[in-house]
Amino acid sequence: MTESTTHQHLENGIELACATLPHRRAVAIEFRLLAGTVDEPADRLGLARVVEETVSKGTATRDARGVSDAFDAIGSPHTSWTERESIHFSCLALPEYVDAAVGLHAEFLRTAGFPQNFVDVALELGRQELQSLEDDPQALADRHLGRQAYGPVLGRHPLGEPETLDRITRDDVCAFWRSLFGAGRMQVAVAGPVEAESVADCLRRHFDGFGPPQPEGRDPHTVEFRPIRTHVEKETEQVQIALAFQGLPKGHPQYYVQVVVLAVLTAGMSSRLFTEVREKQGLVYWVSAWPEFPRGSGMVFVGASSRPEHCDRAYATILRELERLPNDITLEELDRAKTQIDVDLVIRGDRTQARSRELADDLFHHGELIPTAQKLARVKAVTLEDIRRYFNEHPWQPLSVVTLGPRKIREAAE
Amino acid sequence: MSSTFHSHTLSNGLRIVVECMPGVQTAAAGFLVRAGARDETPDMAGVSHFLEHMCFKGTPHRDARRINLDFDNLGGRPNAFTSQDRTFYHAVTRASDVARQIEILADLMRSILPPDEFDLEKQTVLNEIAMSQDNLENVAFDLLLDKVFAGHSLHWPVLGYESTVGPMTRERMHAYFQEHYAPDNMILLCTGNVEPQMIFDEAQRWCGDWKPSGYRRTRVPPAVHTGTAVRQVTRFNQQVIALCHAAPPAVDPLNDTADAAAVILGGENSRIFWNIVQTGISSRAGSFRLDYEDCALMILYGVTEPDNAEKLTDALRAEAATICRQPVADHEIQRVRNKQRTLLAVEGEAPYHRLTQVMDDVDYRGRPRTVEERLASVAAIGADSILECFRRYPLDGEGCLISVGPRNWPAGG
Repeated sequence: MTESTTHQHLENGIELACATLPHRRAVAIEFRLLAGTVDEPADRLGLARVVEETVSKGTATRDARGVSDAFDAIGSPHTSWTERESIHFSCLALPEYVDAAVGLHAEFLRTAGFPQNFVDVALELGRQELQSLEDDPQALADRHLGRQAYGPVLGRHPLGEPETLDRITRDDVCAFWRSLFGAGRMQVAVAGPVEAESVADCLRRHFDGFGPPQPEGRDPHTVEFRPIRTHVEKETEQVQIALAFQGLPKGHPQYYVQVVVLAVLTAGMSSRLFTEVREKQGLVYWVSAWPEFPRGSGMVFVGASSRPEHCDRAYATILRELERLPNDITLEELDRAKTQIDVDLVIRGDRTQARSRELADDLFHHGELIPTAQKLARVKAVTLEDIRRYFNEHPWQPLSVVTLGPRKIREAAE
Repeated sequence: MSSTFHSHTLSNGLRIVVECMPGVQTAAAGFLVRAGARDETPDMAGVSHFLEHMCFKGTPHRDARRINLDFDNLGGRPNAFTSQDRTFYHAVTRASDVARQIEILADLMRSILPPDEFDLEKQTVLNEIAMSQDNLENVAFDLLLDKVFAGHSLHWPVLGYESTVGPMTRERMHAYFQEHYAPDNMILLCTGNVEPQMIFDEAQRWCGDWKPSGYRRTRVPPAVHTGTAVRQVTRFNQQVIALCHAAPPAVDPLNDTADAAAVILGGENSRIFWNIVQTGISSRAGSFRLDYEDCALMILYGVTEPDNAEKLTDALRAEAATICRQPVADHEIQRVRNKQRTLLAVEGEAPYHRLTQVMDDVDYRGRPRTVEERLASVAAIGADSILECFRRYPLDGEGCLISVGPRNWPAGG
C-alpha cells in the first residue's frame, strides 16, 4: 500500500475521493448527500434535519436500536448533521470494518422505514432545541444574522421554525427522502489505510441501483444579502455582536488572497482582531472571524461578545480594523499568515478525519481534488500587491449586522 | 507504528515525560502546573485561571506582543486551560520546531506578571465570567459544585466570581505564582515525532536554573453533600436537571469501570438516549463522570421544558436505580470496548490528543499508559466490576438534585 489520492465517478452515480494513508490505524468515511435546508418546502422548514435524525431509526431488517447496535458491534463512532445544501453522515472504522460500516450506511440510506413514533420524537426534540437556542445568545445571534446575510432560502436554520415544524408529517419526511436521496446526489470521501479500488468496489456493491446515477443537486443558490443593522433585545450578561459581508467563493481566482487576509485578521494571538479588541483593550474574551462557503458563493462573519459597558468600543474597534486592513498589512504579517496556514495544514495532515473532510470539501466546491501542495503554493504566492488588488475589487462592505443583548450599540460609537 | 515513553527528572525536580510517535509530522508540548482552583483560598477564587491569562502577558525576555508574535511565527496553536486540579500550557507545531516551542512555553512559566497588563487582563477575565453566566448549563454546573462541595475549595468555579476577581491584586497573585509555579510542582510533557534526549536537553537548557519551592500540595478530599439546590433564572427558557452522586476518583482502580458505566448509562446508544431522549422527554440528556484526584461525581443530567422537570427527574432516577440493581448485559459492555478500540486508534495518531491523555495519566497515575494498556484496562471490565462499582458508589440513594431554569422547582429546594 502506498500513499496516494484518487477521485473517481462510479457508474452508480457516487463521486468518490480516497486518500490512501498506509500507516494510519483507522479509516474516516464521509457521506455527503446533496440535499439540505435549501430543498425544504417553504412551509416545512426544519424538514431536512428531521429526515437526517430519523433516517437511521429503522430499516427493512433492523429497528432503530438494531442500527445503533450494529454500528457498536464494529466499534464505529458515527454522527450526522444538516447544512444548507447537504446532509452529512460521518464515521470512523477500523480497516477490517470498512465494508460493514459502508454497508450499514447503505442499509439505512436506502431502506429507511421512518417509524411514526421516531418522526414524532424528532419533531418534539426539534421544538425543544428551538427553545434551547433561546438560551444560547451566540447561536441565536448567528441564526438572526444567517437569515439577514443569506436571505430567505440560503439563510434557513436547520432547526426550522416552531410553526413549520408543526406542519411536518411522516409523509413529508418520506417524500423528501424519496425524491432527494440517491447515488447521483452522493459524494463520498475516505481517508486511511485502505485502497481506493477496494472502497470503490464496496460502494458499488452496496449502492448500485440507489436512484438515478445522473449527477444532481450541484446548482448554486442565490444569496440575497441585506446590508442592514438589527438589534434583538434580550436579557443577557453580554451583548453579542455579529456581522457579515460577502466574500469570494472557493473557486475564485483570488480566493487564496482572501484566505491570507483572513489569517491576518483573525488567525493566532497576534492577529488584528485578537490584538486590538482583546489584548489592547480587554473589551472581550472572545472575538473571531470565519468564512462560510455555500456552493458558488462566500460569506465572511465576524463575531464577539462584550459586557454592555464595553460593547460600543468593541463594535467600533471591529469596524475600525475592517476599514484599515486594506491599507496597512505589512510584509511581516503576510509571511506570518502564510506560516500559520502552512502549519495548520501539517497539523490537520496528522489527523485522518481532517484528511477526509478536506477531500469532501474539494469534491463539493471544486468537483476535483486539489493537492495540498498546490493549495499551499497558491497561498505562498500571495503578495502585498495581490492584497491591494483584492480589496480594490472586493471591498468588505456593505455590512449586515446583528446585535443581541440588553442594549443597542450607540450610534455615536460608529 | 507503536510509540515509546521516555522520562527524566532535572536536579531541580522538574519531571519530563516524552512519547515518541514515529511517522507523524507534528509535536505537542506542554507544561503541567499541579495547582488549580481548589488550591486557592476563598477570597482568591479564580486566581489560578487569571494567572493562566497573565502568563501570556510578559516574561523577562518578551512582552505580551512578542509572546504572541513568537508563537504565531511558528504557526503553532498555543493554548492553556485551568481546572480545579491543575493548569496546563500547551502548543502543537511542526515536529522540527518543537525545541523553539518549548523555549517559549518555558519562558511563559517565568512570567513577570507585568503590572501594566494586570487591570487590562482582568477586564478580559470579567468578560469571560459574564459570558459563562449567559450559558444555562454553565450556571447549572456552578450551582452543582457549590452545593455538592459546599464548604470545600472545590465548590467555587474555576473562573472565580466577579466579587473575587474584581478586587484581586497583582501582589497576591504573585505570591501564589511563586509558590506553585516551581519545577518541583511541574511536569513538562511532549508527544510527537521527537528525539527524547533532545527534549531533555532543551528542558535542562531553559528550565535547569529554576529554583524549587519545596511546595507539596496537601489536598483534603471533600465530603459529597446530598440534598436539593434550585436556582430560578427567569431569563432562561429551558430547565436543567442534574442528579449527582459520589463516584470513584481518578486514582481509584475502578476508574475505567466507572467511565464505562457512565457510557452505558448515558453515552451514545445508551439507556438514557433511548429511554429519555428518544422518548421526547429531553433533547439533550446523558451521564458522565467528573473526576478529580481524590474524588469524583457521577452526573446524570438533562435539559427540558420547564413543565417536564418532574418527568425528567423521575426518568433519570429510574435509570440510576436500574443500573445499580441489575447487572448490565455483556453486549452493553462489549459495545464500550469496541468503540474504545477505534477511538484509541484515532487518538494514537495525533500528538495533541495524546498529550492531554498522557498528562492525565502522569498527573493522576504517576506514569503514562500506552494505548494497548488502556485497551487492556477496558477489556477487563465486566458486569461484576460494574456492580461492585455501584455497590461502593451507589446511584440509588438520595444524591444531590440540581434544578436551574425559569421554574422554581422543586419548591423549597
